[in-house]
Amino acid sequence: MTDRQGFDEDPQLRALLGQSDPARSLTPADPQGLARLLEDTMATQTSSDTRTDLPQQSTDLRRRGPLAWLVAAAAVATIAGGGYAVVSSMQDDPTVQQAGPSTAPDPEPVVVTLQAPTTLGAKCAVPTPAMLAGAEVAFAGTVTAIDGDTVTLTPSETYAGESADEIEVVGLRPDLRSLGGQPDFQVGGTYLVSATGGQVSACGFSGEASPELQSLYDLAFR
Amino acid sequence: MDGADDDARRSRFEAVAAEVVEPVRRFLARRTDPDTADDVLADTLLVVWRRLDDVPVGDEALPWTYAVARNALANAERGARRQRRLAHRITVTDPPSELAPAEAEADDRVAAALERLRPDEAELLRLWAWEQLGPTEIATVLGLTPNAVSIRLHRARGRFKEVFEN
Repeated sequence: MTDRQGFDEDPQLRALLGQSDPARSLTPADPQGLARLLEDTMATQTSSDTRTDLPQQSTDLRRRGPLAWLVAAAAVATIAGGGYAVVSSMQDDPTVQQAGPSTAPDPEPVVVTLQAPTTLGAKCAVPTPAMLAGAEVAFAGTVTAIDGDTVTLTPSETYAGESADEIEVVGLRPDLRSLGGQPDFQVGGTYLVSATGGQVSACGFSGEASPELQSLYDLAFR
Repeated sequence: MDGADDDARRSRFEAVAAEVVEPVRRFLARRTDPDTADDVLADTLLVVWRRLDDVPVGDEALPWTYAVARNALANAERGARRQRRLAHRITVTDPPSELAPAEAEADDRVAAALERLRPDEAELLRLWAWEQLGPTEIATVLGLTPNAVSIRLHRARGRFKEVFEN
């Protein structure tokens, strides 16, 4: 129950701010447009993953899973267009999600599936914009779900590669510790990710969306 | 998922949407331009649809959705999508303001004062004065404790007045 004792003090200031509310003359949404928006929304495939993402009540609820980039076995990732990708790995990982085709008559959401990077024994080069610019896939996205070995991101900006509605990075193994310089995916966090040949680039080419990394991406994909 | 589950899901989504769409539209109208607001509304509804099982029932559904909208807005603001929208907007004549000059001036003054605060302080004031949320609700939206909200809001109010009167 909300305790408002003392909370509402300063009604004058509240009124002052209230008078300048930018939304005070906002007309309600056009009902037909809204109905269409809801229909379009419901036509998208729902993930079978029901883990909580946004929002969080306190930092305690933030999932700090022991997620690490995989020291990956070579696996084939497929780029899906107009449907969903089925990823097969050499280990025949049962946690990899398979989704059937959407039954919506409208254009199906595009899901791009990427393999986590191989880092074992790799020497990390210092990333430069020129190197990054060669990436086949690059985007900024927010993690909406983490389920076992799969991280799902919603891209907010696509720098290279086809625009996707959702990107899955598969083949992560939480039991393996990360090997330095790799993003610690958390639900709700924003990351910059690049990939070539269906595999995510590590070593500073992908990570949390810091200003430095953002500059790198901005320069690479001007 | 069979047909009955589908229908139940759709009904629930429509019920939640009925509850949150207008408040979220106002939330977004207060914080960004109309085109971005439209995009972010769609993004927000998509998250609600996908995470329907996580949407709280009752009073907490709206603050939860505000938090989603807030994150989605932050995302949209970061993208170059926004640059393109703004660029487009400049070439379109802004519709004439329907506000009286004095009103518009007061709005500008308040907006300018909010700009001069720290973003988190300004956001507290907006949630308090415009969304008219209580401390527990603001806590949900911002990921703070209600206690922290009360303390910070008190400070923010003081800061606003300082800035506004100068």
